[in-house]
Amino acid sequence: MAEIVLETKGLTKYYGAKPALDHLDLRVPRGCICGFLGRNGAGKTTAIKLMLGLLAPTAGSASLLGCDSTALTPAIRQRIGYVTEGHRLFRWMTIGRLEEFQKAFFPGQWDSRLFADMIEYFELSKKQKIKHLSNGQRAQVSLALALAPNPELLVMDDPTLGLDAAIRRQFLEGMIELITRQGRTVLFSSHILADVERVADRIVVIDKGVLRADCSLEQFRTSVRKVVVYFENSAPADIELAGLLHFRRSERQLELTLVGVGDAEVADWARQAGAGRFDFVEMNLEDQFIEFTAPAHRRRLFQWEKA
Amino acid sequence: MRFLALLRKELRESLPWLLLAGLLLLGVGLLTVHYEARFAHMRHQHWSSHSGLGPGEVVNTYDLVHSPHLAWVAMWLAFIAPGLGLVLGICHFWVPLFARTWSFLLHRSTSRMSILAAKLAAAILGFLISPGLVWTGLYWYACRSGLLIPEPIQILVAGWIYIVIGLVVYLGTALSALSTARWYTTRIFGLAFAALAAFLILVQWHLGWVFALAVLAIAILFGQTVAAFLSREF
Amino acid sequence: MALWMQISSGSETPIYQQLVEQISGAIARGELRTGDKLPAVRALAAELVINPNTVARAYTLLEQSGLVTTKTGSGTFVSDPALRQVDAAQINTLAERMDTLISRAVNLGLDRSALMALFEKRLEKFAGTLDKGKAENG
Repeated sequence: MAEIVLETKGLTKYYGAKPALDHLDLRVPRGCICGFLGRNGAGKTTAIKLMLGLLAPTAGSASLLGCDSTALTPAIRQRIGYVTEGHRLFRWMTIGRLEEFQKAFFPGQWDSRLFADMIEYFELSKKQKIKHLSNGQRAQVSLALALAPNPELLVMDDPTLGLDAAIRRQFLEGMIELITRQGRTVLFSSHILADVERVADRIVVIDKGVLRADCSLEQFRTSVRKVVVYFENSAPADIELAGLLHFRRSERQLELTLVGVGDAEVADWARQAGAGRFDFVEMNLEDQFIEFTAPAHRRRLFQWEKA
Repeated sequence: MRFLALLRKELRESLPWLLLAGLLLLGVGLLTVHYEARFAHMRHQHWSSHSGLGPGEVVNTYDLVHSPHLAWVAMWLAFIAPGLGLVLGICHFWVPLFARTWSFLLHRSTSRMSILAAKLAAAILGFLISPGLVWTGLYWYACRSGLLIPEPIQILVAGWIYIVIGLVVYLGTALSALSTARWYTTRIFGLAFAALAAFLILVQWHLGWVFALAVLAIAILFGQTVAAFLSREF
Repeated sequence: MALWMQISSGSETPIYQQLVEQISGAIARGELRTGDKLPAVRALAAELVINPNTVARAYTLLEQSGLVTTKTGSGTFVSDPALRQVDAAQINTLAERMDTLISRAVNLGLDRSALMALFEKRLEKFAGTLDKGKAENG
C-alpha cells in the first residue's frame, strides 16, 4: 500500500456534551483523490479543521504528511494547500495583491504562469477587488491560489458548494490536473455525488461524526447494493443476514439494502428463506449514498399511500 | 519575507483608521494653534493699548499660566487614542470572525506567533506614527512656529500617556475578541481590565507611577492575548 | 485517431465500465483498428475529467479481455483479433446476455423472422470489422 499522507487516529471532538466527531480513524494514501462525504452536520468541516490544526482535538490525533496536526511546522504547511469553506478571502485586496500575499508563503514553488493563465481563463483581471467578485469568481480565485503553489496535499472544504456546473467542472479539472503530477494527493468534501464519482478514486463517508466507510470508490460501488426478493406467499418476519443495513417490506416482497454481501450469499439466503426469485437493483453513487446513510428503521419523508 | 507580507496586510487594513485618527488630531491641533494664536494676539493688543505700555513690553501672565490651547488638543487625543485602540482591535481580531477569514489567514507557512506579532507590530507602528508622530509634530510646531508661547514638556508627555492608553485599549479589545466565553462571564475581562488600567493611569500624579502602571497593564494584557491566540480554536 | 467518448457521471454504470464499453464498442465497429494506439492514461483522464486510476483500471480490464495490449514505455494498442484468446466462459456469458435480449423481444411480440431481420440490420453497424475477419479467415 502507498505511503499514508493523511491519517487520523481516534480523532474525537466534543462541542459541549455532544460529539461532533467520534473516534475517527481514516487513512488517505498518497496519489489519490479522496472524496469526503457526509450529510450536513456530519462533521466534515470539523474533521478538516482538526486536520489543519485550526481546532484542537478532544481526544485522538490527526497527522498530515507525517506531522501532528496540532504542531504543523511552517515547512509542512508549505506543502499543504487548503481551500476554506465558502472561499473566504480578504475582501479589500485585489486579485494581484492577494497573489503577492499568498506567494510570500510558498517561496520557490509559486507558479506565477499557472496563476496568470487561470485568472485569464476565468476572464478575471488582477486589478479586480475580491469584494466586487461574485461567489463563483471568488471560488475561481481561491482555486488558482490553491493550485499555483503546486501543493503536495490539497485539502478542500466543500469547494463546489453553491457553484454552477461550469465552475464545478473547473474545480474537477483542477484536481485532475494536480493529481496527474506525480505524488500529489487531494482530499475534498462535497455533496455532489456525481462530481465525487467522476474524479475520486477513494471515498470516506462519515455520518453523525462516526466513520462509516473509508475505501476505494469501486469497493463502495460494488459493496453497497439493493436486492428485491419476491416470495410466493408472504415475506418472512425475521431476516437474519449478515451485512443487512435495512429493509422495506411489502406483502410479497422484500427490499434489502446490503453491504459487502456477495451474489452467492444472497442466493443462499433467498433459497433458505423460501423466496421465489430475486433481482439486484442498479444504483448510482447517489442512491447508494442515500441508502448507506439512511437510518436503520427509516420511513419515507412523504408517505403518499396509507399504510 | 513572510512576516513582511503579514505586516503589510495588517498595516493596509489599519491604514484608513490610522489616517482618520491622524488627520483628526492634526486638524484639531492646527485649528487650535492658529485660532489660539490670533486670539492671544488680539488680547495682547487690547491690553497694551489700554495700559499705556508699548507693544511687546508686557508679558501676559494669564497666557503663561493658563495656556489652554495644546491642553485642549491633548484632551482630543485622550479620546482619539483609546478610540483608535478599540477600532484597531476590532479590525484585527473581530472582523476576521465575521468575515470568516481566520481559516485562510491561519494556514500559513509560518508560526502562529508571527501572525499575531504582525498584528501587534502593525498596531504599535500605527500608534507611533499616526497619533504619536502627529502629536509630537504638533507640539514642536506650536513651540517653534512663534505663534504661541512655548509649552511645558509635560503637555507632550501627557499626550504620549494617552497614546499608551490607546495601546492598552487595543490589547484589551483583542483579548475580548479572542475570548470564546460569554460576555457576562470572562469575555468582558479584556475590555474591563483595559478600562480599569486606563483609569488608574490617568489618576496618577507621578510620572514614575504612570510608567509602572502602563508597563504592568501592557505586560498582563500582552501575555493573556498571546496565550489566547496561540490556544484558540478557529 | 478519432475516439469520441462521453462519460456520464451519476449513472448506474461505473465510469471504468463506461470506458470499457465505449472502447470495446469502437473496436467492434472498426473505429479502432489493430495497432491503433489508445490515448495515454493521464491525457485521457485530463480530457474526460476523470480520475487517472479509473482510466488505468479500464485499460487493465480491456487488456485482460485481450482487446488491447500494453507495451511498456510506448503505450496501449488495439491487439490483433487473431491473437485474442476466447474461452468458453466468455462465450457462455455472451449467450446468457443474448437470452435477456431475446426474452425482451419475445415479450414485445416479435416472431423469429422479425427478430432475425432486426439482428441482421444491427449487424450492419459492425460490417467493417466482421467482414474483414471473414475475408482473412476465408
